[in-house]
Parts: sequence; structure tokens; C-alpha cells
Amino acid sequence: MDLKEKLKILADSAKYDASCSSSGSTRKSNRGMGATAFSGICHSFASDGRCISLLKILMTNICIFDCKYCLNRRSNNIKRALFTPEEVCEITLNFYRRNYIEGLFLSSGIIKSPDYTMELLIKTVTLLRKKYHFGGYIHCKAIPGASEKLLKELGLLVDRLSANIELPTENGLKLLAPNKESKKVNQIMQYVKTNRNKKFVPAGQSTQMIIGATKESDLEIMNKSAFMYQNYQLKRVFYSAYIGVNHDSFLPTLEQPPLKRENRLYQADWLLRYYHFKVSDLLNEKKPNFNILVDPKCDYALHHLEEFPKEINTCSYYDLLKIPGIGITSAKRILSSRKVFTITFDDLKKMGVVLKRAKYFITCNHQYLLNPTMYQKKFIEANLVLEEQTPLKKEYEQLRLFNE
Amino acid sequence: MNSVYIYQDTFISLLNLIDYLIRHHIKPFQIKNTRYQVTLLDTVIHLKIEEDENILSKVIHFVGIRALQNMYYVFISDVDNLELILYYFYLNGLKYRENILKYRNLKCVDKVLKISSFVSHECHKYKGFIRFKELKNHLLYAEIEPVSDCLRILSHHFQKRLKNEYWLIKDVKRNILSLYDKKKYILVDANTFSLDTIKESEEEKQMAQLWKTFYDTIGIKERKNERCRRNFMPKKYWKYMLEVESEL
Repeated sequence: MDLKEKLKILADSAKYDASCSSSGSTRKSNRGMGATAFSGICHSFASDGRCISLLKILMTNICIFDCKYCLNRRSNNIKRALFTPEEVCEITLNFYRRNYIEGLFLSSGIIKSPDYTMELLIKTVTLLRKKYHFGGYIHCKAIPGASEKLLKELGLLVDRLSANIELPTENGLKLLAPNKESKKVNQIMQYVKTNRNKKFVPAGQSTQMIIGATKESDLEIMNKSAFMYQNYQLKRVFYSAYIGVNHDSFLPTLEQPPLKRENRLYQADWLLRYYHFKVSDLLNEKKPNFNILVDPKCDYALHHLEEFPKEINTCSYYDLLKIPGIGITSAKRILSSRKVFTITFDDLKKMGVVLKRAKYFITCNHQYLLNPTMYQKKFIEANLVLEEQTPLKKEYEQLRLFNE
Repeated sequence: MNSVYIYQDTFISLLNLIDYLIRHHIKPFQIKNTRYQVTLLDTVIHLKIEEDENILSKVIHFVGIRALQNMYYVFISDVDNLELILYYFYLNGLKYRENILKYRNLKCVDKVLKISSFVSHECHKYKGFIRFKELKNHLLYAEIEPVSDCLRILSHHFQKRLKNEYWLIKDVKRNILSLYDKKKYILVDANTFSLDTIKESEEEKQMAQLWKTFYDTIGIKERKNERCRRNFMPKKYWKYMLEVESEL
């Protein structure tokens, strides 16, 4: 099998992992090639619109496990391939020199045993770092069940080390991934959290959950995320809309991957990490799933109209963050600018506030932009729902313009 | 009388001129570089001002390093009257000092921030989207066509990243070449250096093929999203990107 075919097979098997970030590390090589950028750099965008910053491949797609949802499960009859460590180095270094990539994302199916697989990963990364003095970004998957000694060794070589939890509950895992135990994944996260420092996994850890393969509600998923952010200090939880690659009676048959739901989960994830929201602000037992029609922040505002409208020139930073259409950047801009002048609606536009969403929930200098009698849930909700659909409308109108 | 003041094309020279004009209470009609095409109504004025690098610490002292950084980004933009924008920005900066960036309600501040964010965005995109080809004798070569004059910032970036390589980056639009010799980079006029005779290395084709294979494989077809791709990677970058140039 030639290198091109191997790459095709092993990139194809790796593509379902959502993570590709290359941020959070400030490594540089003293002798060889490569450095990392703290902000991360995207090098291309694939046909699905996801960023390509790392060479995302599996060491091998041979696997002793038989997880129901996975393309590489033992019982699937597909072409199998195995990279040698030298081959991975050759591709990585050659791609890096030409500025195709920011670094390597190496994962693997489990070949022979977790320890054996882990040793293979370590051998590859050691070659890159010690023989070729590669200073670019490396993200490696830790193999659940591998020994702590190997975890330590790998962590000292890479920027990010992660293990995928795959499903939010133990039950889901038992159903779809009978060989996987969440206990083992938790052990890895615990170990990385306790030992993390400038030399050991400097860019931190992340994980991934599959959305829509089992019956968990958004509430269960968000609670799991919140728990992991709190207990393991994860940098990111990635959500991956389930795509049916196998046929199995345990698996749902979906015509389309639940992309909108995935989108809502990401939006809520941001609210948890940067906007000081709690899961209980967004969801509860009575309302266990997100509103598909409006984003979680608008939804929160609509359900708490008594807290609004907020006065831009006086309300606190945390209150600013609660307003739909205002992000971290614009909230900070408002905070610094309002010290030196009184902000008007015109100024908000200049600061990057999305006024078409924010206008319902704010006053500037105690003035409301719309007719105050319109401050009603029904009216605002209808407009916000319409707002979400405008991109489609615009495209349609543009098309018509060209036709005329 | 339309007084047009001319500076010597460098950032330092422009700052020196602006500083001089403000100190002498002169309100310029225009400030332009030496490539300016004079019209009948203009009165062109060349002032003999020393190019003094101390102006940088002076500007930092008054408006702070972040404001200076923003001013530099405006300088390398392709905005028509960037010199006047910088003049009014600095004039206000002397009044409001390091608070100047907070005054987003002033036209000149708003413009400076908008332009500088456009420029820094473009520079950042190019750090990812630029593609090197390997020529014979291990030379790496890339071409770019940015709206803003990003070449210096990109050279600085790759000086750290590809420090044990010989590389060249050509700004096709401005016809300038950045040469790096494993120690430092210099910018030269592209006409002084011909690359036509140097062929691609034998490995180059194979690596380009591998990359295209990877690119075509990594996208998930059930998730195809052209709008999202174009949003993050606008077509203006595609010309020199081997993985998408065939789609143009």
C-alpha cells in the first residue's frame, strides 16, 4: 500500500473527531523547525466548513473494540492500514514546511492492547520532538486503559492530551460502546488535571461527546459538560452530531445529522464558559431541551423579560453579558468607553453590537429604541425567530437581483 | 491653496512629519508619500525633517503602545487618505493620551480601529493560508496578493517558524520579495531577483498530491456547508492555495 492510500484511509477514519484547535501553547523549537501561536492558526477550511489546522490522522484504524457507532469497529469489513512512526514524521514535517498545517493531531484505533497502542504513539511523537526537533503543535489522544507511566511520558511531549467521553451517560456507553468504561476516561482526565504544568500538556485537555446517538436530553448533556469543566478543568468539550456510518438495531436512523442541535449546544457551552451562565439558567426538568428556533441566550432573555431592558451606560459587566447581541468583546468595549462618554445607539453599532438582536433588551441613556408598548414576549419572540432565518432570505433576494 | 505635505514613504518618516505639523500648528490639506501624482491645484511641500527613530518612544509616551500598534496597521493598509486619518488620530491622542482608544465616538478613532482590525485580520489569515512550494536546492517559495502590505509581518512570523529553512515570499501586487537566509530577512524589489530558472523539486508534486488527498478526505460529506467554508476562507485567498485553486 502506498503512502497516499494509507493517508486516505487513516484521515477518513479520523475525520469524525471534531477537535482541531491549535491554541493555548507558546512552544518554540531551539534547534529545529516550528513554533506555536498562542491564538492558534487555521490553515484551511474543508468542504464542510470546519477548520483544518492540524494534520488529523489515526496511527491505525485496526481496532480490538467493537463500538456500535464507530466506523473502525472490529466487526466492520473495511480496509485497514497502519502508519509507521517514520511515515507520520515524513508527512507532518513536509506539510509543516509548506505551511499546510499547524501541527499534528494523532489518534489511533486500539491495536493489540492499550499499552501497545500508546507506545506506538509515544514512539512517533518522540521521533518528531527529539530526532527532528519539531516545535509545532501536537495533539494526541490518550488511550483509555493505558498505564500511568505511559500517560506521563506522552504528556511531556505533546501540547494537548485528550480522551473522548463519547456519550454523556454510563447507560449510553454500555449500550453502544461495551468495551469502553467511562471510569478509565475519567482516570485520564483526573491524571492530566493533577499533573498539568508548563511542560506537561501545556495547552490542556479536551473531550468529545456524540449527540443524537442515544436518547439523552440537552439537560443531561449540559450537566455532564458543566461537571467536567468544573472537575477536570477541561479547555473544551466538543459536540459531534451523530452521523450514521453503521447499521445496527441499537442505533437510531437519522436522515440528517442533528446539526442545529449541535449548534445550540455549542452556543450554550460558550455561555457556560465565558458568560457566567449556569445550566439551571438555561434548562430545567420541565424544559430539558433547547429551543431550536432561537439561540439559548435569546431564549433566556425571553423567559426573564422582567430583568430587562438593561441600561447600557450603568449596568454591570455581568448584566451586559446577559444581553443578546452583546459578546465578550463588545461588553468590554462598552465598559471602557462609557467611562469617557455617554453611549448612544449609534455608538453601539460602531462597537460591534448586533443591534438587530440587542435593541429589544436595552436602553441607552434611558431611551428605548422601539415603541415601549411593544415590550412584549410574543412580539419580540416572533421578531427574533424571523431574524434567525434572514440569512436564507438574503441569499434568495440576491439571486433575484442577478436574474433581473 | 491645497498644501500637500510629502513624507519619505516610511512609517518613521510619516510620524516625524505628523509630529512636526502638529508642533507648528499646521493643518495640512493632504499628506502623501513620494509616489503621489501632483495635480494643478496642489502646492507640494517637502520639509527637511530628520528620520528620527526616537519618535516611536515619543508616540508611545503620549498614546501608549497599543495605539501605536493600531497606527502601524493603518499605515500598511491600502486606505486612500490613511495619512490624514493618522494625523487626526494623533492630534486627538495628544489631548486624550492613552485613553484615546476608548473614544470610539470620534470619527478618526473609529476609522483607525476599523482599518487596523481589517489589516490584522488579513495578516492573520495569511499566516495560515500562505502556501510554500519547494524548489530545487530546498528553497521554499510562496506568492501572496494581499490588500494590505502584510509582507513584513508575515516575514517576521516565518522567521520564527521556519528559521532553519531558506525561504522567499513574493508580494505579487507590490512586486516586492522577502528573502530569508536562516539568519534574517530582507525586502527587495522583485525585479532584481529572477526565479524563473529554478524548477520545483522532485518531491514537490508528491507532497502536493498528498495534501490534496488529505484535504478532499477530511471534509464530512453529510455536513457539507459551502457558505460556512467561504465565510472563513473567502475566495480572494484561493488563487495561491493548491487544495482549492482547481475549484475557482
